[in-house]
Amino acid sequence: MQLQTEQLQSAAGFKFDNVKRNQLLADKGLKLSTAKKTGTTIVGLVFKDGVVLGADTRATSGPIVADKNCEKIHYLAPNMYCCGAGTAADTEFTTNMVSSQIALHSLDTGREARVVTAMTMLKQHLFRHQGYIGASLILGGYDVTGPHLFSIHPHGSTDKLPYLTDGSGSLAAMSMFESRWRPSMSREEAIELVKDAIEAGIFNDMGSGSNVDVCVITQGNVEYLRGYSRPNQRVEKEQSYTFARGTTEYYVPRAAPQPAEVASAMDTSA
Amino acid sequence: MATLKPGEISMGTTIMAVEFNGGVVVGADSRTTSGPYIVNRVTDKLTKVHDNIYCCRSGSAADTQAIADIVKYYLDLYCSQHGEAPTVKIAATLFQEICYQNRSQLLAGIIIGGWDKQEGGSVYNIPLGGSLHREPFSIGGSGSGYIYGYCDKVFRPDMSKEECIEFVKNSVSLAMTRDGSSGGVVRLAVITKDGVERSFISGDQLPEQYLG
Amino acid sequence: MTSIGTGYDLSVSTYSPDGRVFQVEYAQKAVDNSGTAIGLRVKDGVVLAVEKIKHSRLLVPNSNKRIMTAGKHIGFASAGWMSDTRHLVKRARDEARHYYGTYKTEIPAKIIAERMGMYVQAYTLYSAVRPFGVSTLLATMDNNDPQLYMIEPSGQYMGYRGCAAGKGKQAAKTEIEKLDLDSLSVRDAVKEAARIIYSVHDSTKDKLFELELSWVCAESNGVHTHVPQDLFDEAVEYAENADNSDDEGDEEMEDDE
Repeated sequence: MQLQTEQLQSAAGFKFDNVKRNQLLADKGLKLSTAKKTGTTIVGLVFKDGVVLGADTRATSGPIVADKNCEKIHYLAPNMYCCGAGTAADTEFTTNMVSSQIALHSLDTGREARVVTAMTMLKQHLFRHQGYIGASLILGGYDVTGPHLFSIHPHGSTDKLPYLTDGSGSLAAMSMFESRWRPSMSREEAIELVKDAIEAGIFNDMGSGSNVDVCVITQGNVEYLRGYSRPNQRVEKEQSYTFARGTTEYYVPRAAPQPAEVASAMDTSA
Repeated sequence: MATLKPGEISMGTTIMAVEFNGGVVVGADSRTTSGPYIVNRVTDKLTKVHDNIYCCRSGSAADTQAIADIVKYYLDLYCSQHGEAPTVKIAATLFQEICYQNRSQLLAGIIIGGWDKQEGGSVYNIPLGGSLHREPFSIGGSGSGYIYGYCDKVFRPDMSKEECIEFVKNSVSLAMTRDGSSGGVVRLAVITKDGVERSFISGDQLPEQYLG
Repeated sequence: MTSIGTGYDLSVSTYSPDGRVFQVEYAQKAVDNSGTAIGLRVKDGVVLAVEKIKHSRLLVPNSNKRIMTAGKHIGFASAGWMSDTRHLVKRARDEARHYYGTYKTEIPAKIIAERMGMYVQAYTLYSAVRPFGVSTLLATMDNNDPQLYMIEPSGQYMGYRGCAAGKGKQAAKTEIEKLDLDSLSVRDAVKEAARIIYSVHDSTKDKLFELELSWVCAESNGVHTHVPQDLFDEAVEYAENADNSDDEGDEEMEDDE
């Protein structure tokens, strides 16, 4: 009976069938495999004319670097972008879904959507799923009410701050912001600080690496600087590992003569 | 009762609200944590739910934000249906209903403070199980444990506005120094018939006390 | 209202070419055939009075009340079909209880009147239903503030200082207009209400009737209840004495609609 209801309930969406069992096993001391947390450094800050978002480009799967140059700054709307940390699939699908809702919303209203609207949609979606969607986001944008920067955690809580960091490299990045952020920075200063914050993550956090992506959002304008800084380019090898021809001896078997005449002389007419 | 889920953002907090003659003062620290990390050191835990009604949030940040958003919506609806502002009691009742009905899934300790025509200033407390208590003053959050004695000793009914602000300021900063989960700045809101005055005391301006 | 053979009066979902809904007007007729009900809102309370016409001497005295209570502080009087009234009173009680459940605060008159108005109005929209043959008077105290509302079969509802429904409504209204409602006390209003019901009662057509009197006021602790027996007797005595002396003067033109 219990089984039946469970089967009915789990016809679609998330399945929680094994939650109780797993909890019991965990309580008895079984080491369960932990959910994959993508090591990441993402940041955002507010400057004089808008917001700057930044992200590293390493995607990991356990100890493996799954992608050396992925994109973590997601498009949300023409005036809004969103950095994602946590489960890569969840950040991708969550931002995609909200992006299309925002597009429909501005078609409905005939206006450019506001950043708080996107923030509310994201937090309500994440809250509804009670933390099971592992998306940790930094949302930045510029709307009719000015520049806005929010962080949204997987359980659906939000913060509004002038500078934010997230992901496993957030502590390294935050140290840059805490020492160097000032109100009303210039565009150049802001980009430089974001770059340095991400590089702090890239160099000091194992989960972060490769390049720096930057996105500058100002009134009516967005500049997406893909690979703004590439501190991990492969350099010329100190030595050459190309060996001269003939370095290694190898055996060439003598070729047998081909029976070409036999084949062409074959009679194929029934 | 719900516990904090792994990785959930919490507000191990100090919050309080105090009635005085003519209104209420609500106050809170500004620390939001995720495990050992301070996610936000300047959080505003005093959330407006209507013109003259505020709530102080403690527990899970996600849960209390979601509840406050829902109550805000219901109070707006109430206002347009009734053509007048809701009372603090009505706001507190709506909070309680949500907190009680979902008590197994929520980690939220909320104090409601505000001013209305019927009662003047009033304070309601909704602790973890979802019960509702009207009190002349309420303290809440992990930091409140350190200041029950102080508050009981110092509180007087019918304080002046200035005395009341001092009381809140001193109580919250005392809790902030002893509770590791509380800290940052002290945020205040004074709610009277004339509206709301917001203020904050930065970390280096807090009242002096023995620091060992 | 001559609508013979026009066919526009067969359904509540059909307008007549001149923009009327005959079924609703017929429902109003049903109300107009009923014994009179009046409400008086004075400075410190509200009084409801009803002329309950009895069709038999065998009915138990004081049974089948036409003034009911829809919530602690809500008086509910009606003119029209009693069976419809009972349905509406249940609805009013449900609304009051539901509101209290949500807000832990008694429902204000304005809100319950609006909700009852909406409910009654819904029965003027669909061909499958019949409009209510009832005019409802709601008397309440909202935080020491007396309120009186009347809801008609069309769903129209309004707040009143004094109102009347039923066969004697025209005469009753002219009587009510003569009162100085702002300075009257509830006790006096009870007596005046009794007097008005007695004066509009047509003993040539309806021999038997019973007076019902209720109030909400400070003296009743903000609770709606039938008035105490001593006050009731006092009011009846006042009404019977006033009846003769008052009769000649007030059979004038009634020019309000």
